[in-house]
Amino acid sequence: MTLARSLRSALPGVSAREWDQSNNDVIGLGGTPEVLIRPVSTEEVSQILTWAGEEGVGVLPLGSGRHVGPVGGGKFVALETSLLSGVDEYEPADLTITSGTGTTFSTVDATLREHGQWAPFDSPGVNERSMGGFVSEASHGPLWAGYGSLRNHVLGATLVTGDGRVLRLGGKVVKNVAGYDLLRPVVGARGRLGILTSVCLRAFPLPAHERVLVLKGAKLTSLIEPALLAGTAPVLPVSIVVVGQLSALDGSSALVLRLHGAESTVDADQSAIEKHLGIPLDRLAEQEADGCLTEIRDRGGLEPRCVEVSVLPSRLSQVVAAADEVGVAKAVIDSYAGRLRMGSSDMSADAVSTFRGAVESLGGALRVTRWDGVTRPKDTSCRGAELQIAQRLESIFDPAGVLWPARQ
Amino acid sequence: MTQTLTSRVADRLRAIVGEDQVITNPDRLVAYESDGLTAYRVVPRAVVLPETTDQVSEVLRVMHGEGIEVVPRGAGTGLSGGALPTPDSVIVGTARMNRILSIDEQNRLAKVQPGVVNARLTEATAPYGLYYAPDPASQSTCTLGGNVAENSGGPHCLKYGVTSRYVTGLTVVMADGEVVRLGGAGLEAVHGLDLVGLFVGSEGCFGIATEIEVRLLPKVESIRTLLGIFDTMEAAGHAVTDIIGSGLMPAAVEIVDNATIVAVEASVFSAGYPVDAGAALVVEFDGTEAGLDDDADRAEQCCLSAGATKVIRATSDEERIALWKGRKKAFGAMGRIAPDLLVQDATVPRTRLPEVLARITEIGREYDLKIANVFHAGDGNLHPNILFDRQNQEELERVEKASREIMTLCVSVGGTITGEHGVGVDKRAYMPLVYNEVEMDMLRSVRRVFDPDGRLNPGKVVQ
Ligand SMILES: Cc1cc2nc3c(=O)[nH]c(=O)nc-3n(C[C@H](O)[C@H](O)[C@@H](O)COP(=O)(O)OP(=O)(O)OC[C@H]3O[C@@H](n4cnc5c(N)ncnc54)[C@H](O)[C@@H]3O)c2cc1C
Ligand SMILES: Cc1cc2nc3c(=O)[nH]c(=O)nc-3n(C[C@H](O)[C@H](O)[C@H](O)COP(=O)(O)OP(=O)(O)OC[C@H]3O[C@@H](n4cnc5c(N)ncnc54)[C@H](O)[C@@H]3O)c2cc1C
Repeated sequence: MTLARSLRSALPGVSAREWDQSNNDVIGLGGTPEVLIRPVSTEEVSQILTWAGEEGVGVLPLGSGRHVGPVGGGKFVALETSLLSGVDEYEPADLTITSGTGTTFSTVDATLREHGQWAPFDSPGVNERSMGGFVSEASHGPLWAGYGSLRNHVLGATLVTGDGRVLRLGGKVVKNVAGYDLLRPVVGARGRLGILTSVCLRAFPLPAHERVLVLKGAKLTSLIEPALLAGTAPVLPVSIVVVGQLSALDGSSALVLRLHGAESTVDADQSAIEKHLGIPLDRLAEQEADGCLTEIRDRGGLEPRCVEVSVLPSRLSQVVAAADEVGVAKAVIDSYAGRLRMGSSDMSADAVSTFRGAVESLGGALRVTRWDGVTRPKDTSCRGAELQIAQRLESIFDPAGVLWPARQ
Repeated sequence: MTQTLTSRVADRLRAIVGEDQVITNPDRLVAYESDGLTAYRVVPRAVVLPETTDQVSEVLRVMHGEGIEVVPRGAGTGLSGGALPTPDSVIVGTARMNRILSIDEQNRLAKVQPGVVNARLTEATAPYGLYYAPDPASQSTCTLGGNVAENSGGPHCLKYGVTSRYVTGLTVVMADGEVVRLGGAGLEAVHGLDLVGLFVGSEGCFGIATEIEVRLLPKVESIRTLLGIFDTMEAAGHAVTDIIGSGLMPAAVEIVDNATIVAVEASVFSAGYPVDAGAALVVEFDGTEAGLDDDADRAEQCCLSAGATKVIRATSDEERIALWKGRKKAFGAMGRIAPDLLVQDATVPRTRLPEVLARITEIGREYDLKIANVFHAGDGNLHPNILFDRQNQEELERVEKASREIMTLCVSVGGTITGEHGVGVDKRAYMPLVYNEVEMDMLRSVRRVFDPDGRLNPGKVVQ
């Protein structure tokens, strides 16, 4: 019996069809799932995972599938989340929003904006991403200096573990220490610990005003020093990035700072920063700023091959110097966070591996966030006892190993 | 009954940490019988005070080999009985692990031993123009190890977030003595599970943190503080909703109720709050000098529209300290008007504050108990403080019943049973209000990942 048949007879109500090979091009998986399943509820996800455990097949959670990367052999099915959609609960005065994980970020964001709020996490291609994929990747956007990491702002989630148990993690309040924080390792776990079916996110009031300031430079490397200096100004911008060859700025490289606040505050902040840097900055007009920010947001995240690096800010220059082979000229560098993102269609797996070695020797880490080739270069991984703890944790969330079918 | 430690084991511990650093004398052990929640008291078998990660590791190896339970302890200011000994346990205290190991100005990081007192880190980093953001009201005594274990918050966590946002890496000694390094600044891109985030808030059940790496923030340029006086708690609650709803981002929004004001004003901490006020609201903004007056003006307007009878603005540091005094000294003042004080802790969605507070007042009336409320209103974190006398058994029973009703209430409106003080022993009975059996089992399983034998801080969080 084919897997699709077995699934249909075990769970007649669940939407499942044979995998359409044309999907492979869309998402660039190496292996091919046998069935595409589209559950409509947490209960269905739980039934599907229980069934998969009994059948001994893997389950690959997919949002857009854009960030999944190549999957090796073995029998597996794809569980696509787009029907787990919709904003379930939003109380603007509480600044929290709960939605199904198949909901796109843009839907959540649009709902928030109707009430003068937003979710300040502008990672690459964020609008098209599912909340599930977004939270599972915990990818980094350029607003870290002002708003911190996504990990701090996911307040709650519903997770179905590999063996079909339904867990409500966290809640919908900002401060919550009832029991161990199982939510933290789930955010950013890339689906290893379970399938998320709903998430509650903290929202923020939209800033009254945004100002985008730039310092152009011929070379990326010459901009890192002023960027680090900007991080020590008496006013901390909400975003401090250096970005190479911005088309929105006629191909110049630039240090780009963003300030949020009331107009009068932002005026004063700008003067304080200029004084601190000892150089005047160019203020971008709204339209120019929009183009520039979109380019910064998506750069190094939507190209067919993308990597993300973290390192202590003081070592950024050394990392940049080692990144020639992987297209550093077009990198986006968050100098406050010590993060660097790069993407291209032609970086080679060997070049990435060599670069990873350099990053690791500088005390940093590299991860591949997209890869369209067959052999995905390895990420920096934790080691020793830390790795063992992580593996033991995975085995209690997913005892039969259903959730990570031959992923690289 | 507490068992004494055999001299053989005591000698082995002394060989590791030094003669004077193992306490077995019953008179001295009494000092360790409870933490800040004095309703529970158990004398431990011994207290060991190591100085380094290696010593902690060796001590835990001995304990593991002997099958003896271990309770980690910082300053003992915890309010949920997290550092309460079991009769079979040895306390491993971090009092001597109080060194700031490094301050990295350029990357805004510090590495500390767990016994460093919270406020001392901010003092030590001030010359670099930096500070450590989480500021529990106990910051002049509580330790960073305790903060990590409880994921502590503080008044300014509304804007800046709680401890977990600042911890980037940990060195942890596991129950069997193994030393493990988790995370580390610069390693955030590792495609793994966030074990640092999981360890923070684990209440001493997963391991003993022996080195903590934290992020520091640049010091703020200026501060504005307002005190709003209201006739009713409801009006103060509306002011808070308006302030947050208007898009302002205050650093702190704190409320004290009439019962607290009366207690403070009757104490040596008198702050000059009017004793007939229904509530006092402290709102603070920080940031660049330029925008602060505008923000303060808008917040003042919100207070007045919500019915504030008076709004005072601090114009100097002394005035600011004075405005905060009624809030900061609330616990101390209450401690003086009743023999015992149960500092409760729960969180509700901010919009549900007015109805929850009204119901808490009713619960106080129904159980004939005095309840004074102090809370972090900005994030819906309540501290209903119940005043009582432990010697009065019948009253103690009413305190327990009222506590349970308050917890049930908070959970029923979408909140939770603790926002910052942790579960410890005190809230263990309320865990089923939040979690079903499957979820409780998962918590137990995760604990076993770190401590398979369950000898590290047994009886805390989940059984
Ligand atoms: C075959 C296919 C059909 C689709 N059909 C539709 C459609 O009919 N209508 C529609 O609106 N959209 C459809 N989509 C698009 C998709 O649902 C969303 O557009 C998606 O925006 C965004 O996914 P992502 O990039 O965030 O996550 P991905 O790149 O897919 O995933 C990122 C990482 O997170 C993991 N992950 C993803 N979701 C979860 C989760 N919930 N829990 C745990 N881990 C998770 C992944 O395994 C991966 O490791 C389809 C996508 C695919 C692949
Ligand atoms: C007046 C007063 C005001 C307070 N205000 C606040 C407040 O505003 N916000 C807030 O969040 N809390 C507050 N608290 C509670 C308390 O101060 C915090 O929970 C604090 O973090 C406890 O630190 P400690 O060093 O006293 O830890 P302890 O009480 O000694 O221990 C607390 C827990 O941490 C564990 N532990 C201690 N050190 C380690 C370590 N190195 N490794 C692993 N586990 C360890 C213990 O086993 C125990 O479970 C207040 C308490 C008081 C008395």
